[in-house]
Amino acid sequence: MTFVVPIGPQHPALKEPEYFRFEVKGEEIIDLHVRLGYIHRGIERALQERSYIHNIYLSERICGICNVAHTTAYCQAIEQLAGVEVPDRARFIRTILCELERIHSHMLWAGVAAHEIGFNTLFMLFWRDRELVLDLKEMISGNRQTSASNTLGGVRRDVKPEYVPTMLRVLDKLEKATKYYIDVCSSDRTILARCMGIGVLTKEDARKLCIVGPTTRASGVDVDIRRDDPYAAYDEISFKVITEREGDVLAKVIVRLREILESIQIIRQALKALPSGPLRVKVAPKIEPNEALGHVEAPRGELLYYAISNGTEKPERVRVRTPTYANIPSFKPMFVGGTIAEIPIVMASIDPCFACTDRVTLVDSRTGKAHVVSFNELRGRIK
Amino acid sequence: MIEVLNFFFNSLVFPGLLFASLIGLLYVGIDRKVTGHMQHRIGPPIWQEYLDVGKLMSKEDITPHAAQSLVFNVVPLIALGAVATVMLLLPVYTAQPALTTVADLIVIIYLLNIPAICLMLGGYSSGGPFGSVGAARYVVQLFSYEFVFILVIVAIIARVESLNLTTVVGYQAQHSWLILDWRLIPALIAMFISVQGKLMRVPFDIPEAESEIVHGPLTEYSGPKLAIWRIVYDIETLVVAGFIAALFLGGPVAYTIGGVQIPGVVDFLIKTLIIVLITTTLRNIMARLRIDQALKFYLTFGALLAIISLVLVLVVP
Repeated sequence: MTFVVPIGPQHPALKEPEYFRFEVKGEEIIDLHVRLGYIHRGIERALQERSYIHNIYLSERICGICNVAHTTAYCQAIEQLAGVEVPDRARFIRTILCELERIHSHMLWAGVAAHEIGFNTLFMLFWRDRELVLDLKEMISGNRQTSASNTLGGVRRDVKPEYVPTMLRVLDKLEKATKYYIDVCSSDRTILARCMGIGVLTKEDARKLCIVGPTTRASGVDVDIRRDDPYAAYDEISFKVITEREGDVLAKVIVRLREILESIQIIRQALKALPSGPLRVKVAPKIEPNEALGHVEAPRGELLYYAISNGTEKPERVRVRTPTYANIPSFKPMFVGGTIAEIPIVMASIDPCFACTDRVTLVDSRTGKAHVVSFNELRGRIK
Repeated sequence: MIEVLNFFFNSLVFPGLLFASLIGLLYVGIDRKVTGHMQHRIGPPIWQEYLDVGKLMSKEDITPHAAQSLVFNVVPLIALGAVATVMLLLPVYTAQPALTTVADLIVIIYLLNIPAICLMLGGYSSGGPFGSVGAARYVVQLFSYEFVFILVIVAIIARVESLNLTTVVGYQAQHSWLILDWRLIPALIAMFISVQGKLMRVPFDIPEAESEIVHGPLTEYSGPKLAIWRIVYDIETLVVAGFIAALFLGGPVAYTIGGVQIPGVVDFLIKTLIIVLITTTLRNIMARLRIDQALKFYLTFGALLAIISLVLVLVVP
């Protein structure tokens, strides 16, 4: 006999409201249904209603954690629309901010993941060390979290020369801590028991379902926007794309922790090569009809902004595709056949950020009926 | 008449309900404070448990519609009665427990199981999926840790050749503490492993794993009933620690230091606190296991340690 275990809309394993309907037989998961849309905020529509400058702050608020990635992608799309070249120094500062954000996001995730498997001490330690990164972000951008540093045509705040020694010192500290955590996560018996061989996403599945970011890199798919289509200053910096082959939760942990080490290297190089020059160029408020695509490697994977301009100071259309949305199809191969005890950690393993995800619910304005568009329907509409 | 009064004093004040809940709540408060420091947090003050329980007690008593049954309402009280009774059977101030006539180890084992069974019944009768899953997990966990727990006690019975806890404590007073007997060291380790499961502490907090099944059997409980469950849990922590102290650490011993008589209850409190702090440390250095992993761990590693002790006690003179 199967019965249904509802995970969500309110559940301690989820930090945001979404509904997952698990059909279980005893402890084994037979099937899974996902129902998104609880926190649809109408942001894409709101983006059309506001000016290009105003939209920076709105796009920043799509995701609290990867706000720099969002503004970077948005600014890149709009700069392409306007045909503006960003000054060199701004490109490097964007790189530094993006990487600081990646470190803090991965640390936050690692802490949450440790909490999901009941290891609260490790959770607290991760978050203690995450404070170091937040302090650096505050020093550079004036804010711990929502930095508001990016603007159209460049950045608003400079990385002053006197910041550099402090940053290098903190980065050394972080590197040491991260190496220790990699050691802990790959040797602690209880962590291995909970993470090894759990929630496996095979390379074929990852390819077939177009999974992005660390989730797919943990399955051995070598994809990274920073290298494949360099933006900001990534083309002038050498770094490795971290991949693991196993595809289980442990691989996802290790990939993210090793990415922190790689990010530290990137920031060091960027600080060393930081060119002098202006921080930003002016962008005219009105942009001629054009269309452009900006995409970045957010901490969770590829984040995509597609924008169309129409000659006014407001965009005609802005489309956002967040990495979590791309990663949700991976739930099914990862969950089916597993047990209830695995639900939190496997769900956490894609580093879900649902608030950025909710976008496709159609509501009939006359009857007030909501309707979720299926894949086949969408296909039909394209034809 | 005086015997009746004495009985009521024993069961309600000392060492029964009042003493046990005051100390139990304090110990869990200390446990939370120490946990906080281990996790680089400040942690709650050590009297936080009193505040929590007081707050819960002052709340409205709500029973969910699906859970309205006698079982759901009564089991917390039965569990409370059972753990408070064990307190009367433990040596707290001398080797003699408060109730002398009926106490032997088998009764204590039975009584220590009643809260677990009550928790399962509460979970099953709560009418929610999390309660059922938590209760089902607890059944599995009970059968795994209890097996180890009983094997350890059997090893001690074989060593002392008595079923009576008073005799076990008296034997240790005459000879030496059983913890100093190398043949019982594996049993002591097995005891701590099984106690982690009994008290539902990491890595065996599987039945109430909050990130997986909310609060397991306790999910639908709230207000005063939840407060009673908290008191049950806290007394159980104290009782189990006192039980280990009696089995391995010689129970309460009265000392005379510099002419001042220190009562046995102080010794009891020190020993139990040390045992509680050991379980606190264990729960802070591990991740939660899955239920099948826990079962396997208990029935192989835990049981093996206990059996080694038993065989050593029986074979080595």
